[in-house]
Amino acid sequence: MQLKPLSAFLLALAAPMVAQAQVSVATTNTVYRESGGGLETTSVTPSLRIKGVIQDRVTLRAGWEADVVSGASVAVVDAPGGDVDAITSATEWSDFRNTATAGFGIKSEFATLEGSYTYGTESDYRSHSFSLTASAELFERNTTFSLSYGRGFDSVCNLSQPRAQEAVDRQRLPGSEGCFEDDADDREELDLALHTFQGGWTQAWAPVFVTQLVLTAQVLNGYQGNPYRAVWLGRTAAQENHPENRTRYAAGLGMRFWVSPLAGAFQVFGRLYRDTWDVKSITAEAAWEQRLLEGFTMRARVRYYNQTGAAFYSDDYVRFPRGQYFTGDRELSPMSSWLVGGHVAYDVPPGEDGGVGPFAGFVILAKFDWVKYDFRDFRYGTRSVPNDRAMVATLGMEASF
Amino acid sequence: MESRSSSERRLRAFLGGLLLACALPLASGCVTVRPEDKEFLAEPAMTFGSGGDARAQEEHVLSNREGSFGAGSASGGGCGCN
Repeated sequence: MQLKPLSAFLLALAAPMVAQAQVSVATTNTVYRESGGGLETTSVTPSLRIKGVIQDRVTLRAGWEADVVSGASVAVVDAPGGDVDAITSATEWSDFRNTATAGFGIKSEFATLEGSYTYGTESDYRSHSFSLTASAELFERNTTFSLSYGRGFDSVCNLSQPRAQEAVDRQRLPGSEGCFEDDADDREELDLALHTFQGGWTQAWAPVFVTQLVLTAQVLNGYQGNPYRAVWLGRTAAQENHPENRTRYAAGLGMRFWVSPLAGAFQVFGRLYRDTWDVKSITAEAAWEQRLLEGFTMRARVRYYNQTGAAFYSDDYVRFPRGQYFTGDRELSPMSSWLVGGHVAYDVPPGEDGGVGPFAGFVILAKFDWVKYDFRDFRYGTRSVPNDRAMVATLGMEASF
Repeated sequence: MESRSSSERRLRAFLGGLLLACALPLASGCVTVRPEDKEFLAEPAMTFGSGGDARAQEEHVLSNREGSFGAGSASGGGCGCN
């Protein structure tokens, strides 16, 4: 009962602040479709985000995102020369992932502190993740430094089998039935801990030139394989076996140059990556973003990616084993990709009353990318990867009040 | 002896690189773009991380199909428009 006056006082205090809040609602929806030769993956990712900025100092946000994924994939990755046509025996699957996020931001004149929590759930996976980011603007706001730390607590469903058992005797998980249910004796939960550190340095060098350097390190400890996938080892197929520890390092450098006569920006980005599984990669991207009519922009880009395979990757573990670990993950094989695409965005100019219809502002974005993969050392039996083309389409809208 | 001097050279090169890496951001303080000259730096095309949710979803999709991760972008444009 004594809480009532306190609640009323807090409400009275907060009401004017909330009344002054600038609220925005955004929805972004992405479709990814990868197809070719009987293997395919389709994922639909809708999201909704609500953000409120109170007195230009405090930001509160909440969001939801889902992944509706379906496709046909090869459960037992065979060696070259195998008799079984792995692709025609591909199995169909689907999954539904939901994530909910809540976050805050506090801004002073020259510094910002942001934090967030995300919970993710799907039939065979659970995750809790926290992140904290601090950034500061220095030297007349020409320099921005940011530091962030993220911590993830993930749980993966697997077939219950003794961990002391030899890896070559472990069976793959046949399906997600029974996962995370207390009475399912043949299922277990395996943990994965993630620590992500990131530092960023953004620098305005001239009125038309800005750069950004980003360094990322991530430490993973725990189960990192796909429990559904098995690898043919000669006499039998065993659930893929990845090392439990992985440390990943990446350095990215972006540059943007404004070309005044064309009213557009030339953008380049390069990234170097390596990890303790001996995957090394390079990413290069170039883009042109053009301002057209008032509020209307268009961007075109090309991206190239190339990586080496993991130290324990082999496309034939019978003839070329790689020690105690084995994988059927094509993303751990030597691969490259080309991406071309672009987007158009329209930030609707405000009318005479300073608004856009019922909104204070309205932005719409349509994006499309086409990707061609080259898995130069990965085979399903005797066949190369058939689903090596993909498209990514995004439609986003944001309204502010 | 040769391998020892080689290690020393590497160590010196590493320390030199580290010193340069620390000094460069501080030296950037000598670079001054005045607020009235930041019209173009405030353009969305000049702001890192301006792709928002669409960019995040794209990074999510691509990182699921590649063996790499990280160093995508951080927020901030140094444009002084906050």
